Amino acid sequence: MTHEPPPPTAVPQYADFDFELDNNAQRLPLVLCLDNSRSMEGRPIQALNDALREWTRELHDDVNLSYSVEVAVITFGDQSVTAYRGAEPLYPGMNLSPFVPAHAFTPPTLAANGVTLMTEAVELAMHIVAARKTELRKLGLQYYRPQICLVTDGLPTDGTGHYTTAWQRIVPVLAEEQRARRFRLYAIGVGGITERGQAVLSAFAPTFNAQLQGFPFRELLQMMSASAAAEQKGEGEEAFEKIFHQFRTQRPAWEA
Amino acid sequence: MAAKGGHTQGGRARDGHAQGGRGRPRSGTWRTHGVSVQGYRHRRNGTPCQDAWDSAVWSAGDSGPAGPVLVLAVADGAGSRPRSQEGAQLAARLATEHFGRAAAGRRVEVGDAVHDLLHSAYQEVTGDFLLAVKETGDPAEDFATTLTVVVITPDWLGHLSVGDGLVFVRAGADQDGEALFHLLPQADAASEYSNETVFLTSRHAGRWVRTDCVADPGIDAVVLSTDGLTQAALTRSRTPNASFLSAVLGPLEAPEAEPGADEAELAELLRSDRLSAVNADDKTLLRAVRI
Repeated sequence: MTHEPPPPTAVPQYADFDFELDNNAQRLPLVLCLDNSRSMEGRPIQALNDALREWTRELHDDVNLSYSVEVAVITFGDQSVTAYRGAEPLYPGMNLSPFVPAHAFTPPTLAANGVTLMTEAVELAMHIVAARKTELRKLGLQYYRPQICLVTDGLPTDGTGHYTTAWQRIVPVLAEEQRARRFRLYAIGVGGITERGQAVLSAFAPTFNAQLQGFPFRELLQMMSASAAAEQKGEGEEAFEKIFHQFRTQRPAWEA
Repeated sequence: MAAKGGHTQGGRARDGHAQGGRGRPRSGTWRTHGVSVQGYRHRRNGTPCQDAWDSAVWSAGDSGPAGPVLVLAVADGAGSRPRSQEGAQLAARLATEHFGRAAAGRRVEVGDAVHDLLHSAYQEVTGDFLLAVKETGDPAEDFATTLTVVVITPDWLGHLSVGDGLVFVRAGADQDGEALFHLLPQADAASEYSNETVFLTSRHAGRWVRTDCVADPGIDAVVLSTDGLTQAALTRSRTPNASFLSAVLGPLEAPEAEPGADEAELAELLRSDRLSAVNADDKTLLRAVRI
């Protein structure tokens, strides 16, 4: 993981502080769990790539989120589930965390292809969040409740591209994890997601699920930043629900 | 009857006449100063600072300790609650009043009696706090705040905390003569997440109260902070960051130092990008140096 010192102290009287700060910010792990199966081909995947780049610029501009938020990207498509460490895909056997501090994060450029291994992707997201918490505790770093953002335009499939009910196996797991407040899960249906597809997302994330017209990835990622900022302010559940409700109705509450 | 000789929010100790400076003989007089600043997230959202602090010097009563009592208090209003700024201010003010009156009114021996005194004063603070907020007609939870208090008498230093405030004392020196800082024990964490803690208004808050009694005449400086300064004041291994603590105490230690003369610079430091990068929360620092 890249460690860069935070910005310098501009106050001359206090300029020579010797903080142990390669970056000891309170961390907020954020997993983007993104569908890049064949149905996302063309304009949708282009819109997603553009939004990821724009969002990254905005994160870099926020003095605190850039040091606090840690981004991991998981994609499901192209016959597999892939975790990215910034722009670089991780392969089995590479013992590296996919989380990158936002100030050092560079988004991958995604291509759309293959099947929709959504269940396996969500399982991996849960796994890396739990592992990251363990790492953070070992490092003596404090952290906020992690966020997982699942985005899809389709139904979960198996490796051959056929719909599978395997997703049902993780519904009770997700319910227990969310009840125990181990992370906040957002499940967003975009494009032409069907009612059946949306029902899967509702089962995964009963509180924070949405079915959106088109591919409003930019607004979606801004909502994730707004939720991260609300987490830092110590907001109650109602604040997160308000942010999400206004996101669903396409009015940016975070700009209010 | 003990009289309250309170420090103003500007932090000037009315009794601060003695010549100071590290390495010189110390009297029982303390020079204090505090500052609270909006955190980065609140600045970006236009939300006021929800931290507060207060300090007071109480003259000892007839049955009291052998000298004045200093009370220091910091409070951190809950970010999620609409009137937590008022709650923090109220809690800090009530703390300096009740803890000061209790400690100045009668001499208490080191040990269990100090813990009893601290708990008793805490009950008075919460009683008055809940009574005052009830009169507003709003739910008590709207005023949610943490509270960290230090009471310094000629015989002992007492500490009581609800929530995640920090207290450091400076006492002794290492082999190289460098002053040693010590973090007083904190209450158990309320959850695994750093932005969740216990407030005065929390259900069963009394169970989460932490008290300590320290009897060490070598203590010559005390620093209280809200959790917004955790990353600056503590290393990753949760030991005191001596460079930070020494730096913020330095301006109070020069002979003839005027408490608060460096307030603008200190506030600028607390608002700096460097500190904002590691913690976006409001920040309060309350410093006291024996002179």
